[in-house]
Amino acid sequence: MSTSPRRLMAGVLALTATLVAAACSGGAGSEGKADSSTLTMMVPLFGTAPNPSGEIQQAVEKLTGKKLQITWVPNADYSDKTNVTLASDKIPDVMVLQDNKGPSFVKAAEAGAFWDLTDKLGKYPNLKPRNEQARLNSSTNGKNYGIYRVRPLLRSAVLLRKDWLDKLGLELPKTTDDLYNVAKAFTEKDPDGNGKKDTYGLIIPKWPTPIFNSSNPFNAIDVWFGAPNGYAMRDGKLVPEFDTPEFMEANRYLKKMIDEGLVNRDFATLDTAKWNDPFVQGKGGIIIDVNVRATQLYELLKEQDPDGYAKKLAMSGNLSRPDGKKFSLPFTGYNGIVAISKQNIRTEEQLDDVLKALDRLASKEGARLVNNGIEGRNYKVEDGYAVRINENDPAVKAINNDVDYAFIQLGTTSSVGVAGDAYERRPASEAEQENLKLRKELEALDLQTAVHDPTLPYVSPTLTAKGATLHPIVSDARVKYLAGEITEEQLKAEIKRWYDSGGTQVVAELGALVAKAGN
Amino acid sequence: MATDLAPPPVQAVPRKPRRGDKVSTGTALLRYRWLYLMLLPGLAYFAIFKYLPMYGLTIAFQDFVPFLGYSGSEWVGLAHFEDLFTGPDFGRLLGNTLILALLMIVFAFPAPIIVALMLNELRFNVLKRSIQSLVYIPHFLSWTIVASLTYLLFSVDFGVIANWIHGFVGGTKVDYVAQAEWFRPIIVMQTLWKSTGWGTIIYLAALAGVNPDMYEAARMDGAGRWRQFWHVTLPAIRPTIVVMAILTSGNLLDASFEQLWLMTNSLNRSTADVFDTFVYYVGITQGGYSYATAVGLFKGVAGAVLIFGCNWLAKRLGQRGLF
Amino acid sequence: MSAKKSVGQHASVGSRVFDALNIALLVGLALVTVLPLLYVLAGSFATESEIASRPFFLWPEKFVTSTYEYIFATDTFVRALITTIVVTAVGAAVQVMLTLTMAYPLAKRYLPGRTLVLNLVIFTLVFSGGMIPTYLVVRDLGLLNSYWALILPLAINPFYLIIVKSFFQELPQALEEAARIDGCNEMGVFFKIVLPLSKPIIATFSLFYAVGIWNDYMSPLLYIDDNSKWTLQVIVRQLTSANAENALASLDSVFFPVEGLKFAVVVIATLPILLFYPFLQKHFAKGVLIGSVKE
Repeated sequence: MSTSPRRLMAGVLALTATLVAAACSGGAGSEGKADSSTLTMMVPLFGTAPNPSGEIQQAVEKLTGKKLQITWVPNADYSDKTNVTLASDKIPDVMVLQDNKGPSFVKAAEAGAFWDLTDKLGKYPNLKPRNEQARLNSSTNGKNYGIYRVRPLLRSAVLLRKDWLDKLGLELPKTTDDLYNVAKAFTEKDPDGNGKKDTYGLIIPKWPTPIFNSSNPFNAIDVWFGAPNGYAMRDGKLVPEFDTPEFMEANRYLKKMIDEGLVNRDFATLDTAKWNDPFVQGKGGIIIDVNVRATQLYELLKEQDPDGYAKKLAMSGNLSRPDGKKFSLPFTGYNGIVAISKQNIRTEEQLDDVLKALDRLASKEGARLVNNGIEGRNYKVEDGYAVRINENDPAVKAINNDVDYAFIQLGTTSSVGVAGDAYERRPASEAEQENLKLRKELEALDLQTAVHDPTLPYVSPTLTAKGATLHPIVSDARVKYLAGEITEEQLKAEIKRWYDSGGTQVVAELGALVAKAGN
Repeated sequence: MATDLAPPPVQAVPRKPRRGDKVSTGTALLRYRWLYLMLLPGLAYFAIFKYLPMYGLTIAFQDFVPFLGYSGSEWVGLAHFEDLFTGPDFGRLLGNTLILALLMIVFAFPAPIIVALMLNELRFNVLKRSIQSLVYIPHFLSWTIVASLTYLLFSVDFGVIANWIHGFVGGTKVDYVAQAEWFRPIIVMQTLWKSTGWGTIIYLAALAGVNPDMYEAARMDGAGRWRQFWHVTLPAIRPTIVVMAILTSGNLLDASFEQLWLMTNSLNRSTADVFDTFVYYVGITQGGYSYATAVGLFKGVAGAVLIFGCNWLAKRLGQRGLF
Repeated sequence: MSAKKSVGQHASVGSRVFDALNIALLVGLALVTVLPLLYVLAGSFATESEIASRPFFLWPEKFVTSTYEYIFATDTFVRALITTIVVTAVGAAVQVMLTLTMAYPLAKRYLPGRTLVLNLVIFTLVFSGGMIPTYLVVRDLGLLNSYWALILPLAINPFYLIIVKSFFQELPQALEEAARIDGCNEMGVFFKIVLPLSKPIIATFSLFYAVGIWNDYMSPLLYIDDNSKWTLQVIVRQLTSANAENALASLDSVFFPVEGLKFAVVVIATLPILLFYPFLQKHFAKGVLIGSVKE
């Protein structure tokens, strides 16, 4: 008994060693691209995966001149799959990277996993960046390792119950003071006319990520009051959003509303998936979010009240602060990038070939294909809008599914929220058409007062290393302050704790990078 | 058949070797060849799918970048362990993790045993079976659904149960889902709801092994239900309980992160943050494979100490233990 | 078992009170577990605005089937369902077999080397290499895009293995000894005596393994690139968690604002495996194990 375990152990080890040898001989490095007529891709998927022999894929293959082998990956788990893919030396030729500022990508790109396209895109008519701000935002420390997938650069809006405004004889808010007054009236003047004081103004949800500048309603209100959007250079120094008097002012404003009961009481916990509910139920009357939320709200209101729904939703853009000055909250203008692997695409010629294919996909024709579908098959054009046809035909249903939940993710010049060269879908009703027009007008108008975050293109090593500790400090403290759990002094102490826990280095690192780029 | 070639029966019956018995490896391999043969596929499985990937643990000492791989990533020594143990969050994370673990031992571990025993005492077979097949259903719902049901029932303004409690107790409304002190009770309740029924299965299987004649014999001796329970039922599932307890102790520091993650918010983070949720967040914000592995190693060492410690303790207390 | 036989007996008052209380508690428990589920079921047939406007209900005001129509509009769901059933059945059989064959020798206390193997097994309960190295092993074995990748990497759950082993230890030795005297080798004893005696164990762990494969979404997500081979859970997760990303800043929020669809997907993905349990249940109740030993 005393000798056998050791021998058995030796046996097991020998077995393991054999297996290791056997198991590892299979993965003998890739040999570049064997077949230039096929492109492998990895793309996020919402909904169910398209059939490779489906009409849309066939059409895309015809347009690009390439056979496509697409791995569709569920959006929710895209990052895990991205990481095993990066680790596996099976990187596809073309890959959508959602987080192009995260360390797995940044370090992979710096180590030469992907082509640096900064100086190359200009040569391709449809890949040439159309918006300098979005190009800058999507760059990683000054380099574009991919083609950015366009999104609206400005999409914040205030959505309100129009029927309540009308009933109380109120105007659409233009300033933060107006917003306060509307919220107060919505709370106290019985806007639904049921004789009970059972309504409130602003609906705020719990934000999924505890990052202070994550485009949530708080972020919007900060910016409206004149605080930086994330960070700003002030007097030659980089200042974070929350280390400004404007931030404190915005918080006092919000706290007043919360203390007076003008905001939902569960603002710290309300699930973002249930954000629409109080609005539709007629409990709360104001949502500050992206303007496309109007589409969802119209759908829900329509289901509930098919005749009167058109009169229930109003929208205004970013608000100015009481002194009339207006600052608008912009978004990044992109959602991830389309990057090209150096593992498979080895030479400049091969790269040029792939870029040409992507250029065709980004052309007017390609944009329409991945955003709208096939004209005459699943849509027709009317007054410049795309109108869906034959919707009950199962084959057409498949086309619509493939476009809406899959191929649109390959759009770089036109995609979700940005029609670009493709056609806007024609909204179902006149009210929704009006809303779409209004959206476009407000986007253009507010873009003029947009406060861009100068640090977006840069990566701070300290923030990367300590983000998990740093991020929640201020966003939690703000919510606690608003909920009345801590005082303004304690909020300031938490801000100091942010600096002491590594924030000082973050500001120094980002500040240096911004200063260097800004010359 | 192979059995025809086997040595004479009497010799084939394996004798339990006493302590100090010397059995040479060759003899053992020959004598127990069938048993070793049966062991082989399992050993191969563990070697290939469990031990082979363990080289991945080395990334705890690296700044692992997936693309650069295990050989290309930079070695950083114990930096991640330093970050973990000296980081501002360590004390809080450890405290929260331990308290939650303790609550789970006290509430979630015995619950399935109790319910299994209650079901065992149920005299109507139809009712017994229907209840059995209802209580285990929640196991199949994802935490996402459980979390949204919790918010639905407990939110401050419209939560059905929250309002109901308020109707009874009166006073100011409590926002259960937003308060640090209510975080743990809610997590425990969710776990009880989701896992209790499922957990009963293993104990019911153990109870199914009880010989009905033993109850008969106990009744003959004039034992009432209580004594039957005490002398027949309980001894029958005690080995299972002990094994489950020891095995569970190894995963003491594991929390079901998705559950906690969904219930965490700015107001309750002080009690809600445990190693697993923190590591998940590190993963999101910094792709922290190395850090996560370091935490995993730390938890693994703690788990190994606990599991072998509990096993030793069980044996000292006269139980069989794991081996 | 005890219940059946004592029904005929004259029960004491205390015993009756206990029974009443026991039934009340268990029925209460069953209700608590089943009510929220009925809400999910009802919600899958309700309109979006009803889900948004009624806090809790067990019967929809307006009964709609649009969510189910959406799910069954394409063959994706049905195909995934069939795939999942086949993979689950084959996989659970393989996994149970591997687990039982490994557990049996480990239950023999006299087997030299057994303690070492058990220690190695227990070690894997607390340490694991992690996602990426496991992925690389699966890749190197050439299992990517194969259904075996959903079965083999999870073939033996060390937790289950140890429980099965301790069940085996509780088996009466007398029968095995008798079989050996009759000339069976250990393998013969295992197949002819031990397995037939272990029906409750086999039933239990078939269920555990089957549910494990059924609910696994990570393996298909990582190991299966070919979308037509996806199992149900990938699609379920896809449809139920798309919303979680909705509110994120760069949101593509036009996707699936649909609670009812979530509910319907959960209902469809849960029902088949739920039906599995009552089918196995009879094996739990029989007391097969010792009953046959007695003869």
